[in-house]
Amino acid sequence: MRLEMVWIILGMACVTFIPRFLPMALFTKWTVPERLRWGLEYIPVAVLSAIVFPILFFDGGGSLHFQSRAVLAALPVFALAWVARSIWGCVILGMAMYWGLGFVL
Amino acid sequence: MKHRQFREGMKAATPIVLGYLPVALAFGVLARGAGVSPLEVGLMSLLVYAGASQFVAVEMISKGMVWFPIVLTTFFLNLRHLLMSSTLSLHFSKVSLRVVALLSAQLTDESFAMAMADPSKIANRPSYVLGLQMISQCAWVVGTVIGASFGGLINQEGYGIPFALPSLLICLLVLQIKSSIHLGMMILSGILSLLFRWALPGNWTIVLTAVAIICAGAVIEMLRRRA
Repeated sequence: MRLEMVWIILGMACVTFIPRFLPMALFTKWTVPERLRWGLEYIPVAVLSAIVFPILFFDGGGSLHFQSRAVLAALPVFALAWVARSIWGCVILGMAMYWGLGFVL
Repeated sequence: MKHRQFREGMKAATPIVLGYLPVALAFGVLARGAGVSPLEVGLMSLLVYAGASQFVAVEMISKGMVWFPIVLTTFFLNLRHLLMSSTLSLHFSKVSLRVVALLSAQLTDESFAMAMADPSKIANRPSYVLGLQMISQCAWVVGTVIGASFGGLINQEGYGIPFALPSLLICLLVLQIKSSIHLGMMILSGILSLLFRWALPGNWTIVLTAVAIICAGAVIEMLRRRA
């Protein structure tokens, strides 16, 4: 096992555990403050958008380029997610679309 | 530990297991493709156990990323658990810190959603939630290690596997759109992330976008309170 990999895994484990653990440790004793809610409200949207949109508009080499296969596969996934709210349905549809588009494009 | 509750929780995990396995296999295959060994994959699934962050980490590792941006991105990506952990805590008033540590270490979007589907089943029944979460994590660890071990036998570009992660993330993103402000924030984040990605070297896109959106969120909250 590589040393840098161990650091990456331990670091990820720590920063993943802290937000999972702290609120539960605190709020099984105290009540949840209102301000905590709106402070973090938009973080998931920001993080997920910042991952998803570059995938659709940048190629592997990092240059701005419309990824038609990814965008065409993504559109029905957006639609299904909006209508059915099914995580695994989206994964399967996205994989199937991307796979199928590979034969067409 | 209440064995009957634990077994009941294990049974409730079945849909999560069925959902996790294909994604876990896909993760193992992708991780192996990025040069991460099966042992490293297993250790990551055991200690980190966060699907989306593990995919993102592997994506960054494949581009030769060093540990700090990966850990920082993981931190921002998993801040969402603060709210889930806060919500879950309302149902466990008399639980020892050791049990809280176990319960929270295995908290995921899916186990949270499943637990909250019927809060009466989890209220002060930590054994039920532990059963639910332990089986879910077992499926994740075993699935990812199998994917990483036998990844060479599967065509990694085949069956749409490269698009498993984007699909999962798109769905998680859409699930976050709870109001028109959220929708606006998604569009703003999308534009900002493309700008950051285009203008700056390295992979600071996610962190910078998150910080910008925290500021935007604070401004909106201030304007709302003034109005």
